[in-house]
Amino acid sequence: MVREIEKEAGIPVVQIATIVPIMLTVGANRIVPGVAIPHPVGDPESGPEGDRKKRRELLQRAFKAMSTEIKEQTIFKD
Amino acid sequence: MRLELHNALVKEIQWGEKTSLKDNVLYVNREEAIEVVAADENFADVQLELARPGESVRIIPVKDVVEPRIKLEGGTSFFPGFCAPMEPVGEGVTFVLKGASVITCGPIVAFQEGFIDMSGPASPYNPFSETFNVVIVAEPVADLEKHAYERSLREAGLKLSVYLADQCKGTKADNVEVFDKGSIVEENNKYPDLPKITYFCMSITQGLLHDTFLYGADMKSIVPTLVHPNEILDGAMVSGNCVSACDKNTTFHHVNDPIVLELYKRHGKEINFIGVIPTLESTVLAGKERTTWMNANLARQLGADGVVISEEGYGNPDTDLCMNAKKCEDWGIKTVVISDEAAGVDGSSQGLADATPEMDGFVSAGNVNEMIEVPAMDKIIGFPEAIAYLSGGASDSLREDGSMYVELQSIIGSTNELGFSKLGCEWV
Repeated sequence: MVREIEKEAGIPVVQIATIVPIMLTVGANRIVPGVAIPHPVGDPESGPEGDRKKRRELLQRAFKAMSTEIKEQTIFKD
Repeated sequence: MRLELHNALVKEIQWGEKTSLKDNVLYVNREEAIEVVAADENFADVQLELARPGESVRIIPVKDVVEPRIKLEGGTSFFPGFCAPMEPVGEGVTFVLKGASVITCGPIVAFQEGFIDMSGPASPYNPFSETFNVVIVAEPVADLEKHAYERSLREAGLKLSVYLADQCKGTKADNVEVFDKGSIVEENNKYPDLPKITYFCMSITQGLLHDTFLYGADMKSIVPTLVHPNEILDGAMVSGNCVSACDKNTTFHHVNDPIVLELYKRHGKEINFIGVIPTLESTVLAGKERTTWMNANLARQLGADGVVISEEGYGNPDTDLCMNAKKCEDWGIKTVVISDEAAGVDGSSQGLADATPEMDGFVSAGNVNEMIEVPAMDKIIGFPEAIAYLSGGASDSLREDGSMYVELQSIIGSTNELGFSKLGCEWV
């Protein structure tokens, strides 16, 4: 889906996902590593405040990835 | 380490006054057997049913399958950390009711479970259409927390299988299998020229009812370790998995692990089987990196020339599979992997979620998305409406006439990645 949206609609996509090697294999271009398979975009084990902080941080990183020019598959670690 | 399996063959099963094995007929005292599991306060109701090969019977939804076994010498009871005390296994004598199994069944709906047909087109896809089965149908008390229900149902299957074996253990075995292998040093001295082969038994260890146990330890909290193959054959591993039915390793599969049995057969002839490494499939990337490095490093420290790697489940564990293969191959250790494929209903999609060029020795256990039509059965044991919640089923899978049109992945063991199947294909 990520590749098709980029290819057919021309809209850049950031994928937040836990298992980065799969994203590299399937061809996602902008990759933000997620937390864990049961909760890729949050960290419930760190409590409500820690969870909210993690979610915000991941979203901001995704926005940064979205607005960054890239030439090849790129993992946004921070 | 020497283990004898004393197999008493079960060729028929009936209710009887005394639970016993006579002339290869397993008689089960229904009330007494219900009492063995009904004492659990998490169950509101427990029923037992029998299911025989060839009967028009569907069992749904199936959680686990257990082979009745008990220690006669060299240990107590069976399944250390569950029914047996925490003690090492793999030595002495174990009594087996060969041809019988205990199947646990209960409405853990909205989770991934599967079905068993005792006859018809789905029956060749699962090995338990050929065993004589005692099925536990356990209703939970109202509002029982799902993890507590899973634990109770898991332990019920273990308890009933040990009870059956215990009641029959005085019966003379029909045959005896011997598994005898020394320490790694001893075997290396005996067979210095044979290639050293180990086996990574990848197991689902992902929490949220996706767990496997080693000596009672929840494996997601351990690091990979080395065990003697006899320990696997003698109840060290227990399934706690509510996962896609086609490729989960039930507790029955673990004690009959065909990879262990085949490597054993070749030990001292073609290979030197240096042991089994039960290993994890973590839910975080760092966990996958850590365990696969540790697996590869264990193999390297053991001096392994080759590794057989089996996967459990599909999807994210495909990455663990790739990492295990790549890291071993990079260190010069040859690998072959056994996996199934999720290649779509027409088989044309990419089979695995991940790939790596080093994983070039690949044995496929089949396509989980292949569709199959199964007719209605005269008798349903369990909860037929559960098909809508199974992986590989949908709300319209169950038709009004009782037939079903489902993916192979809803059949227990249909694409088992230990290779526990009689089905295969040939190149033409």
